[in-house]
Order: sequence, then structure tokens, then C-alpha cells
Amino acid sequence: MTLAIAVAVLAAVGTWLVVRGGPVRLILGFILLGHAANLVIIAAGGVARREAPITDGSLDLVLAADPLPQAFVLTAIVITFGVTVYLLSLVARTARQTRQDEPATVDEVGADD
Amino acid sequence: MLVASLALMGAAAIAVPLVVRRLGRFTGYPLALVFAISALLLLLDTPQVMAGETVTSSWQWVAMFDVQFTLRLNGLSLLFSMLVLGVGALVLSYAPQYLDPTYEVGRLYTVLTIFAAAMLGLVLAGDLVLLAVFWEVTTLCSFLLVAGSGKVGAWAATRALVITGIGGLGLLGAVVLLAVRTGSTDIATAIALAPERLSTFDIGVIGALIILAAFTKSAQLPFHFWLPGAMVAVTPVSAYLHAATLVKAGIYLLLLFSPLFVDVPAWHITLLAMGLATAVFGAFQALRQTDLKALLAYSTVSQLGTMVALVGVGTSAALAAAALLVVAHALFKATLFMLVGIVDREAGSRDLSELSGLWRAMPVTAALTGVAAMSMAGLPPLVGFVAKEEAFYAFLDTSQASWTQGAPWSGIVAAMVAVLGAALTFAYSARIIGGAFFGPLTQSNLYEPSWKFLAPAVVPAVAGLVLGFAPGLLNGIIDRTSEDVGFAVVQSDLSLWHGLSIALGLSAMAISLGLLVHFRRAWWSKWVGTEPPVPFAPVVFDRIWYVTLDFGARVGRTAHSTSVGVHLIGVGVLLLGLAIAGIVAIPGVGSGLAPVLPGAVQPVDIAILIILLPAVLFLARARSAIAALVLAGFVGLVIAVWLLLLGAPDVALTLLLVEILTVVVAAPVLARLPRHKDVGRPVIAAIAAVAVGAVSGLAVWAFTGRRGPSELSDYFLTEAERQTGGSNVVNTILVDFRGLDTLGEIAVLFAAALGLLAATAAGAKARRDAMSEILGRGERTVLRVGARVIVPLLIFAAVVLFWRGHDEPGGGFIAGLVVGAALAVAGIAGIHVRLPSSIVILSLGLGLALVAGLIGPITGGAVLEPIKVTLPLVGSLTSSLIFDLGVVLVVVGLVRTALQRLDGIDSDEDKHDSDEQSPDSFAVEVAR
Repeated sequence: MTLAIAVAVLAAVGTWLVVRGGPVRLILGFILLGHAANLVIIAAGGVARREAPITDGSLDLVLAADPLPQAFVLTAIVITFGVTVYLLSLVARTARQTRQDEPATVDEVGADD
Repeated sequence: MLVASLALMGAAAIAVPLVVRRLGRFTGYPLALVFAISALLLLLDTPQVMAGETVTSSWQWVAMFDVQFTLRLNGLSLLFSMLVLGVGALVLSYAPQYLDPTYEVGRLYTVLTIFAAAMLGLVLAGDLVLLAVFWEVTTLCSFLLVAGSGKVGAWAATRALVITGIGGLGLLGAVVLLAVRTGSTDIATAIALAPERLSTFDIGVIGALIILAAFTKSAQLPFHFWLPGAMVAVTPVSAYLHAATLVKAGIYLLLLFSPLFVDVPAWHITLLAMGLATAVFGAFQALRQTDLKALLAYSTVSQLGTMVALVGVGTSAALAAAALLVVAHALFKATLFMLVGIVDREAGSRDLSELSGLWRAMPVTAALTGVAAMSMAGLPPLVGFVAKEEAFYAFLDTSQASWTQGAPWSGIVAAMVAVLGAALTFAYSARIIGGAFFGPLTQSNLYEPSWKFLAPAVVPAVAGLVLGFAPGLLNGIIDRTSEDVGFAVVQSDLSLWHGLSIALGLSAMAISLGLLVHFRRAWWSKWVGTEPPVPFAPVVFDRIWYVTLDFGARVGRTAHSTSVGVHLIGVGVLLLGLAIAGIVAIPGVGSGLAPVLPGAVQPVDIAILIILLPAVLFLARARSAIAALVLAGFVGLVIAVWLLLLGAPDVALTLLLVEILTVVVAAPVLARLPRHKDVGRPVIAAIAAVAVGAVSGLAVWAFTGRRGPSELSDYFLTEAERQTGGSNVVNTILVDFRGLDTLGEIAVLFAAALGLLAATAAGAKARRDAMSEILGRGERTVLRVGARVIVPLLIFAAVVLFWRGHDEPGGGFIAGLVVGAALAVAGIAGIHVRLPSSIVILSLGLGLALVAGLIGPITGGAVLEPIKVTLPLVGSLTSSLIFDLGVVLVVVGLVRTALQRLDGIDSDEDKHDSDEQSPDSFAVEVAR
């Protein structure tokens, strides 16, 4: 239930930022949507069992969290980082073409104008 | 000898470019010889074919689909292959005299030879797939040869390619359906099995597709227009492809498959009606042309129409007449094209309004043209007359065919239309002779061409005359052909003189009517005009063409938007649809859910939410880019803590590091972004946000936390250590169980890094001191001192995390990110770390992961299967450690690329940076 609320808010705000447009919002929105998706996958494994899945002898298997979604999410996080970095490079490239010496705000136009 | 014949043609095609270098345009002569030899090789098999056998030779081609490379020679294919090779030899010995010395002959000869080989393959093919392949090759060769005549040719060639290409697709469809339904790709077998294996519907579809293929290739209404357009090609091409052979491929196809449709009235009616319509239409259009090549093109359209109509009649006599007309037409039309080419060369024009009285200057040319035109007009004693008489008989006997159910008028109607076509044919034939060769001679300095130029045209003209007197020579082959297309042997009795028959009467009628049309030209011209008509069909084609392109552009434009919203709407709508469909379709969703398991919500989760949600909501309202970035980083950290509490330490650690690196990388970029005014659409964004949030939240609530551990979870938890020796189950999944996934994922990281390199290639230097803008001098100094300690510690931590990753939290991704963090600290502090360039690190990483994956198959296991080795002192090692090292390197490469290209810090390309922060200036700063 808590995860559902967190996913709902993250997805809503992420969508809001992406649809409002503008490079900064796009990147931040993408990051939030990434969090939402990762939490969905974690939720799919179930969160009633919360012991780290490290079978070092002291682990009670009945209490161990599902390791497979964790593996998915781990790589997804790194890939989100890769894509974020790529988006940043595109933003930087666009900015270079329209450079002005003013401090940035979130309120930027998307490329569509 | 089938294989030898086809192989010889293939070899010739390969050799042409070499020979052209030495012989230039005279390459035509040796090629003509090759064609003749190839024909002789086939003729060696003639006795068997005439005895009623089918010579085949076959070997396995595509074993998976049981497709054989089968060549077969029966009467039908012998008839057509002799045309292909015979007319080919004549045209190739004509080309050297016709072509300009400056013409680019290498391409022409090569493509012509490839075409001849493909056309030979087409008529010899004994396998459906082979047939379709050769069919396409002839289409492509035709395109290349027409397009070869420069800019004028390009558009005509495109039209021809599109039209015949559509037909090619039709043939492919028919072939596939026939092969699938009958279970055989062998033509003879498939046709034999068809009656028992094909439904009426199948027959209908196959018939329609074959008609489409044949009508496009053989220029029948409404696809006829590509053929006159193709006349922009040089005359040898027009004579060979667009009169004698290529356009007959459609007729061949109809003959080949006609046994399938004996009892299908729609097949017969379509062919007969459209064929006769094309015959009359083409002849009428030919009559109105003044350009001799255009006239001959429309004449070809008309004659092909007659052949199609004869196949449509479907009686044994009609199919025999069609085969005879194929021969007669090839002989007179190839002659006429070659002679028109000669006139064009000698008199400088091929337009009837400019030519006159040529027989005075070129009597031999005039005489040969007369003979060929008489054959075309259907005058005795030429083979064209015999063919026309046979055609009249066949049309009259239409009512004898079973599909007409004895309607007596059918034969009379068909014969009358055929007579009209023949009359118009007579009229335009007369116009060629009357217009170009009679009347006053208007040009001076005109001479008879050399015998070398004329000889190739003499052969078919004389052959037409000989076969006119002795049509009986063709009895055998025509009988065999009609036998091959499904009829019992009938003894043909072709002869010039049949006595005073009905057909003779029809001929007389056609000739009288033709004379009337010819001599009353001024009278009927009042209605249709004296000028050649502007073709209508190409205009329609172009309209459809551009409307189609425009439609494609419209569809494409929706994807060209630079607005993110436009791209996301499709995805959003789809997801929403899926969600609704899921709620409706999955049983139990609407009616009630299993209870949420106890322990799924714990007090600590509520505490996390209380911290997380305000931060996320503030983020939505943040005005400053840097503030928003810091909030995003905070959100990430809170989620990382949550993940740790949920029992995912590896994921938490990874997220923590990624959040730190994201802030480090993004801060300088966002800090330097220019200000824009806000033009977003808040209402749409709000609706989208609420919808997405509600659907995803509801889905998580409804579909998760309501069941116990999955089977896979149990499997990994109990088996991971036993199978891999690693107790960190998440890490064993990444590197041992699902290595292929991980390999794909680091490939994505690799690609992202490449994209980054490409996107920032030009501007890396412009931002090199971005960090110094954010950090003050004093802060930098502190960092530099701290970094001397922190960086080595981080590297050490990375090594430890990597090494223990198989058993405890850590592993390649985390170790790579820690190294990345170390590089970031060093970069911010201005310490230059010497490393190979990022692309080398990335490639090394991906390569190492691949190599580690290949150890498995080399030692007899599966790809990416880990191999265990036990060493003294170190303990047991697995090859997955090497794989994980590859992961480390790719992650380090990505982070380093980002740091270098986005911040301009830690730049090994930028020597200024290290100059500026040399140890001396550092010492000075510390001293202050």
C-alpha cells in the first residue's frame, strides 16, 4: 500500500514534469519515472519478506526478499543513469546553440516552439 | 545440357566487364556467339523433348524449405528458351553497329547478359521458388536497362519497376500459397496435386495473383502504360526485352499455370475480355502515334493482348495459336525494332512526320521493313498470317470451350472483336510503310546501311517468310507445347492455305476494314485528333504515387515532432488501454482481490513516505534548476534507504552511488543552461499526470503484495550458493544465472556512452572550468587536500566491494560506480588521473565480458556458463569474476565519459586544465 502511494506520486510528478516540457523538467521527470518503475518491480517481488537475500548461513529463507526483482532493478538503475547522462549531453548541446548568460530556472521551453 | 546452357550464360555475364575493356561495343559479337552456343546446348536435348519426355536436372537448394534448384525442359520451355537465346543472339550482333562509340557499353552488355540468363532461367525453372526469383531478376534488369538512358529514363524506369514489382509480389504470393497448400515447390508436382489439395477459394486467390503478375509484366490494361514509357531505352533493349522476351514472360506464366484454371470461368472471362480490350486499345493507340518506337510499343501491347485472350479461350487450338503468335510476334517485332533503329541512325529521326520516301535511298531496309510489317499486318505468305488465321479459328471456337457452356454467341463476339483488332493492326502496319518509305524523299545524303548493320534484321525477317510458306515446321513444337499445358496430343496441321474457310473470310474482312481505316484517316481524325494522344494512365499512376508518398509523409510527420508530449501520448494511451483491458479481462480483478499479506506495510514505510512525498511534490513546483536537482537527489537517497530497509542492500548501494554521480554530472550542465520563458500546457500535463499516477498506483496496489514467494525466488535462494559458490544471490543472478541479460545491459551502457561521445564531440572544451564557477577557490583547495586521501580510499573500497561481491553486497556495478565516484572527486578537486581514454576502457570492458562468456563454450559448456577453478591460497574462483570485471570497466567508462564530456572536469583531452592547476599554483594557494 505504501509502495502503491509512492509509485502513484512518483509517476504522477514524473509525468507532469515530462509533459510540461523543457530539458531540465524532462531529465528530472525521467529520473522520477525511473524510480517509480523500479519500485513497481520491487513491489512485484513482494515486500512482506525483508531480509537481504544473502545466504550466509544465518538467513531464514522464509523471511528472505525475492532476489530476482532486485537484480533487475540494480541494472535498471545503472541504465537509467546512462540514459540520464545521455539526455544531459543532448540538453547541453541544445543549450550551446542558444547560449545566454543568465542563470537557469526550471521554466524552459521544450524544443517545440 | 540444361545446366551447361544456363551456366554458360552466367559465366558470360561475369566475363562481360573484362571483355568490354578490350572490345568495347564490339563485345556484342562474341556474346552473340555465346548465346548461339547456349541455344545449341539446349537443342541437344530436343530429340528427347520431341519424343514427349521432360528433361530435368535438379539439386538441393534451400534444404530447410525443401526447395530444389530444378531446371526442366519441355515443349513450352524449349519454345521460349529458343526465343530468348535466338533473338538475344540477333540483338547482340545488331548492338555493336547501333551503339554510339561513346555509349557506356559495359553496363549495357553486362545487364543484357544477366537478363538473358535470368530469362532463360525463368523459362527453364522447374521449381516455384526458382521461378519467382528469376522473375524478379528480369524485372530488375529491365529497370536498370531503362534507367540507364539518363534522366529521361529514370522516371519511366521507376514507373515500370513499381508496376512490374507489384506483379512480382503477386507472383510471390501465388507461389507461396500454391507451395504451402500442395506441400511441394516443384511446379509439375504442385500443379498435379492442386485439384485435390486446393479449395475453390485458394484457386481464386492464386488465379487473381497470377493474373496480376502476368498483366503487369505483359503490359495489359490497366497496367499497359509502363511499356511505351520504357521506350526511352536504347533500341537493342527495346527490341530484346520490350518486344521479344521480357514482356512474353507474362504469357509464359499464363500458359504454365493454365491447367490449374481449366474449370474456372472467371479466369477465362478475365483473360479473354481484358486481352481483347487491350488488343483493340493498343492497336488504336498505335495508329495514332507518329514516333515509330511508340507505335511499335503500343503494337506490342496490342499483340500481347491477343495472346492473353487466346490463353483465355483455353482450348487446345487457342493455346497452340497463342504459342504460334508468340513466335511470329518475336520474329516480326524484333525485326521492326532493329530496322527502326537503323532508320533512326541513318535518317536522324524515327518520327513519321519527318520521314518520307526512304525506299528510294534505302531500298533493302525498306524491303525488309515491308516483309516484317506484312507479317505484323497478317498478310500472306508470312508467318503472321498463319498465326492470325489460327487465332481467328480459335476465337470462333470459343463456344466449344467447356467454360462457355455452349453459348454460341461467345465465339462470334470474340472473333468480331479480334477482327477489329486485326483491322487496326493492318492500318498501323500500312502506316509504317506508307509514312516512312513512300512519298517524296525529303532528305539528301541518305544511304543504305552496311550489311553488318542489316544482317541481324534479315535473319528474323527471312525466318518469318520461310515459316509462312512452311508453317508445318512448327507443328512438332506447338504440339508439345499444347501438351505441356494440359492437353492430349493433337496433331497440329499448320499451313498457309486452308482453302476458302471462315478464317480466310475474317482475314479478308479485317484487311478491307484496315484499308478503309488507313485511307480514311483524315475522316476519323476529325473525332480523335491528328496529334498523338497524351497518355492518361501515367497521369493516374503519378497521382496515386504522390498521394501515397504524401500519405506516408503525413503519417511520418506525427513522429517528427520535437515535443516530448506527442511521443509519450501514444505510449500513455496504450498503457491506459492495457490497464483497462487488464481490469476487464483478467478474471478476479474486478470481483475481489486476495488479501494483502501481513507485513507488507510496516511503520517504517509510513515514516519513509512522510519524508519522500513532500520532496517529490516540491520537486514539481521547484523554480530553480539546481534546487530541483538537489531535491531529485534527495528523493533518490530516501528511496535508497527504503530499498535497504526492504532487504535490497545491493540495489540501495547502487542507487546511492548513482544519485551522487547524477548530481555531480548534472549540476554543471544545469547551472549553465540559459533561461527560457514558460510555455507549457499545465492542464494537459495535469490530466496526464493524474491519470498515469492513478493507474500505476492502482496497479501496484491491486497486483502486488498479495502472494507468497514465487517459485523463482525459492529456486534462486536455495540453489544459488550450491550452483555458483556465491552467497550474494542478487550478484549470482547478475553474473551467473542471467549473464546474458547483464551482457545486454552493459551493451546499453556502452551505447549510451557512445551517444554521449557523439553528442558532445564538438563542445567538450567549452565547459572545462564549469566546476570552478560553482566552487570557490577556498573550497577547491580543501577538496584537493581531502581528495588525496579520499580517492585512494574509494579505490580500495571499490576493490573490496568487487572482490566480495559474489558473497556480500557489492559486485561489478557497485565497484564501477565507486571508481566513478573516485574519479568525480578527483575531477572536482582538479587532480588529473592518468587512464586510457574512455572508449578504450568501454571496449575493454565489453570485450572482457564477451570473452568471459566464451570460456563456457570453449570448455564444453554453454555461452556465459561460469567455470569454477580452485587455486591454492586464493580459494575457488569462477570465470564470472572476469565477467564482472568487464561490468566494472564499462561502468567506469560510462561515468568517466560523462564526467569528461559534460563537466569538462577530469579531461585528458584538455591540457590547459592541468596547467592551470599545476602543483606550483597549488602550493601558492596553500601558502596564502
